[in-house]
Amino acid sequence: MGEVELSCLAYAKMYLHASQFPRCSVNGLLLSSSPAGGAVCITDCVPLLHTHLSLAPITQLALTQVDAWCSQTHQRIMGYYQANACVSDSSPTPCALKIAEKIFEQCNNAVLLMIDGEKMFPGCRVPPIVMYERKDARWALKDKHTIMLRQWEETCSIVNQLFSSGDQALLVDFDSHLDDITKDWTNQKLNAKIMELVSPANGNV
Amino acid sequence: MSSISELYDVCWEEMRDKLRKWREENYRNSEQIVDVGEELINEHASKLGDDVWIIYEQVMIAALDCSRDDLAWSCLQELKRQFPDSHRVKRLAGMRLEALERYEDANKLYDSILQDDPTNTVTRKRKISILQAQGKSSEAIRELNEYLEQFVGDQEAWHELSELYINEHDYAKAAFCLEELMMTNPHNHLYCEQYAEVKYTQGGLENLELARKYFAQALKLNNRNMRALFGLYMSASHIAASPKVSAKVKKDNVKYAAWATSQISRAYQVRGTQECTLGVFPVRLEDSCHTLLMEPPLL
Repeated sequence: MGEVELSCLAYAKMYLHASQFPRCSVNGLLLSSSPAGGAVCITDCVPLLHTHLSLAPITQLALTQVDAWCSQTHQRIMGYYQANACVSDSSPTPCALKIAEKIFEQCNNAVLLMIDGEKMFPGCRVPPIVMYERKDARWALKDKHTIMLRQWEETCSIVNQLFSSGDQALLVDFDSHLDDITKDWTNQKLNAKIMELVSPANGNV
Repeated sequence: MSSISELYDVCWEEMRDKLRKWREENYRNSEQIVDVGEELINEHASKLGDDVWIIYEQVMIAALDCSRDDLAWSCLQELKRQFPDSHRVKRLAGMRLEALERYEDANKLYDSILQDDPTNTVTRKRKISILQAQGKSSEAIRELNEYLEQFVGDQEAWHELSELYINEHDYAKAAFCLEELMMTNPHNHLYCEQYAEVKYTQGGLENLELARKYFAQALKLNNRNMRALFGLYMSASHIAASPKVSAKVKKDNVKYAAWATSQISRAYQVRGTQECTLGVFPVRLEDSCHTLLMEPPLL
């Protein structure tokens, strides 16, 4: 499998999600608005849960809702991310593998992304992510050099700006939506803020 | 940087009362506690009277949560000075060691407390927390089970154990823990709803019917519990779609699912906002079968 590009928007929201719930495992779905068959680009993500990741009902519900929303907005689910509560262990859990497997059934270049909590500190030079792809009927580590994060420095600076402006608190995941249904799990407001910060010269970060 | 009292236009009494509220209701909003508490301690300690000690404790724990070892250390020093032989303060020192990941030292401290006072439940639970932090789930589960044999009424421990079992995918044992909690807290809608989720996850017709019943019970206790409402819809729909049920059961469950749908739509109409993409709900389960559902096992 070839290159996978991770957009600033997707990265920022995943990072914010993991930061918002530092004591919990969190997960979410990776989306792509680029046509299937073309270059693989993760353009957005939907943060899902921060409690009981391995219980079925809410996960099923969230998958259905996100899928329906994707059809409406010309996106497709092409991956899954998870950050484990236990920072020192960033290996995929059985639950992560199960959901990634489901996604792979619909999307043959699906990816599984684990967030490496140990690398989430200010000034870390390396993206705190580990990506897996499907190879020979199992999930294998993807070569780091095939994971593209354009304008990495700019992405980092955007994330820092979100923290300093307090906008990181705008992030809503599906769990939070169920606690208060007036909160928007598609994060339109936060998306707009992030896109504002993305430099206009690099329209496709 | 302006102070909390300036930013929010509050006086020290209001800050003290806020801290009390957070303490009594067991909030874990550590960043806020640190902001408010640090200012209260630095500027108004003399006015707090005897409350100051419990505030030092509260702020210290919040500081550990936010990696503010400087603040935690100074709170600890004040407490040590005032209560030099206290087990409670010793336990706080242990928590600081935990925060610094010095688990062996923390355990030594806790063991010395337990030697003096073997029934010190808080300290025993700290030792279990260390096992969890180290990722030793099976040991944590074993210790917690032993603890509960002695202290069978400890709700917090039962809940913690249910969480550990859920993480290990041992749903039957998680259900047992939640049953204990429901027995002693029959009016708590959250336990009912969690129990229902575990039953749903276990799968199979019988478990789905139990799940539906407990989602319904959770709704009876709190009709705004959205998870219970969605859970009711999903369990009823799955039962209705099963080839194994009688026509009557199918009809009843279709009715339950339809009721749930109408309640959900109403909730979103009344409370939802323009930004909620709830035009998409309710997607009929049959329609969404082509999407990425995790099938409930063994329907």
